[in-house]
Amino acid sequence: MRKELAARLGVRPKRHALVIDSRKCINCKACVVACKAENDVPLGRFRNRINEETRGEFPKLLASFEPEQCHHCASASCVRVCPTGASWQRRDGLVLVDTDDCIGCGYCIIACPYNARFFNEETRVVDKCTMCVHRVDAGQPPACVETCPTKVRVFGDLEAPDGRLRELLSTRRYVVKSPQTGNDPHIFYLL
Amino acid sequence: MEEIRWGLLIVSYLFLGGMSAGLYFVSALATYLQDGGQPAYPRIARVGAMLAPWPVAIGSFLLIFDLGKWYRFYKLFLHFEWHSPMSIGSWLLVAFTLVSLAYFWAWLPAKVIDSVVSRLPKRLRFLGIVAWPGREGLRRPLAMAGFPLAVGVGIYTGVLLGAVQARPFWNTNLVAQMFLFSALSTGCATLILALSLHRDDLEEREARLLYSIDIVLILLELFIVIPYIVHGALSPLAVRQALALILGGPYTFAFWALFLTLGLLVPLALELYEMKPVLLEKASLHPNRVLAGATAALVIIGGFVLRYVFVYAGQVSSFQ
Repeated sequence: MRKELAARLGVRPKRHALVIDSRKCINCKACVVACKAENDVPLGRFRNRINEETRGEFPKLLASFEPEQCHHCASASCVRVCPTGASWQRRDGLVLVDTDDCIGCGYCIIACPYNARFFNEETRVVDKCTMCVHRVDAGQPPACVETCPTKVRVFGDLEAPDGRLRELLSTRRYVVKSPQTGNDPHIFYLL
Repeated sequence: MEEIRWGLLIVSYLFLGGMSAGLYFVSALATYLQDGGQPAYPRIARVGAMLAPWPVAIGSFLLIFDLGKWYRFYKLFLHFEWHSPMSIGSWLLVAFTLVSLAYFWAWLPAKVIDSVVSRLPKRLRFLGIVAWPGREGLRRPLAMAGFPLAVGVGIYTGVLLGAVQARPFWNTNLVAQMFLFSALSTGCATLILALSLHRDDLEEREARLLYSIDIVLILLELFIVIPYIVHGALSPLAVRQALALILGGPYTFAFWALFLTLGLLVPLALELYEMKPVLLEKASLHPNRVLAGATAALVIIGGFVLRYVFVYAGQVSSFQ
């Protein structure tokens, strides 16, 4: 319905998402630092992280690094359980917290299958990745995307017909994490 | 989940809210049951009504103090989010607390009101109208009105956890019923404890009613715990991993020894032992105050441990 209306008006709906090519990740943590600097994240807390896994013994071994943050799920369980509507989702898919309405009950922290949310002891409310919404709205990529030296992260609009995201997701194999929770996560990991 | 977000305050709240729901449930049942136009179990009804509002009131305060910004709790009541169990629950909690306070008032003995009012300064004496004799007629309607609310509060504490699909330990359709029956059972046990501490002896028929209710509730809990474990062990990997927390994990002792054995099986055995003359010999039972008090205390502790295990183990369980 909304899509039809948007098409008639000549506006294209947006769906922001992230594609991650974790094979390129070198675990430099520039994304983590950039996020903390950009968003003033309190000491000891992180909005994004790199999951590390090592396997095997020398010389047959593997070290894999997988960046993770809020998946900005299409049916986000954090938004569903929020009792005040402080956790909400923009039309372009970004899941945000209205810090004026958040009472800090922590229900969304528990309801997130990806442990992407945390309690911010300084603001006394819930904190999470906003996909640098202030930058996105100004036409810039999120800080983690911009800073990544090996171009692991691709940020874009899934609805853009000629967008990089569509191209990657139509030509490369990819997975999403824990789809069985039914959250429809929107970080796509290239294989 | 690396850290426990909901700690003992939430455990205590779930426990106290459930206890109030149980107290109200049993008291309302006792108000409803009549014998020749008179309440058949007036003491159970009155003591239950006197106790019911307070645990949930204390629990609500604990809930508020668990919030990151406690003074924003009013925002819960500026919104109604039908898809959020917590939003539904907070409205339910307010409705239940109000009804149980009204029910408390309807059962409050007139002489208590009189003795309080007579101590007040003269200009506050008009408060004596609280002792309005017509309130006795409100007892049964209030009991009926509060019945669904009490069941709602009892079941909602379980739904709050069960509705979280990210935590496989909780996300089964059995947790809500488990919490409901456990809530009603702790309420029933609180009444047994209160009456066994009362200066008048626990009467034979009162003991029979309370023991019968509690035996049924404990059996219902067993009917849920066993499928919860058996079915969980036959479920997808994430559920089995979550279940490992109580089958050889950090919460095994609390679950099996403190909850299942001391909180369910031992009280069930003690209650059946007390009821044996009624069940087998068609004789009347002679309630033993010490035994009744001990049984009730075990049920109450078991109810607390159940909530502790579920709240903590559930947060640790995940799909990753």
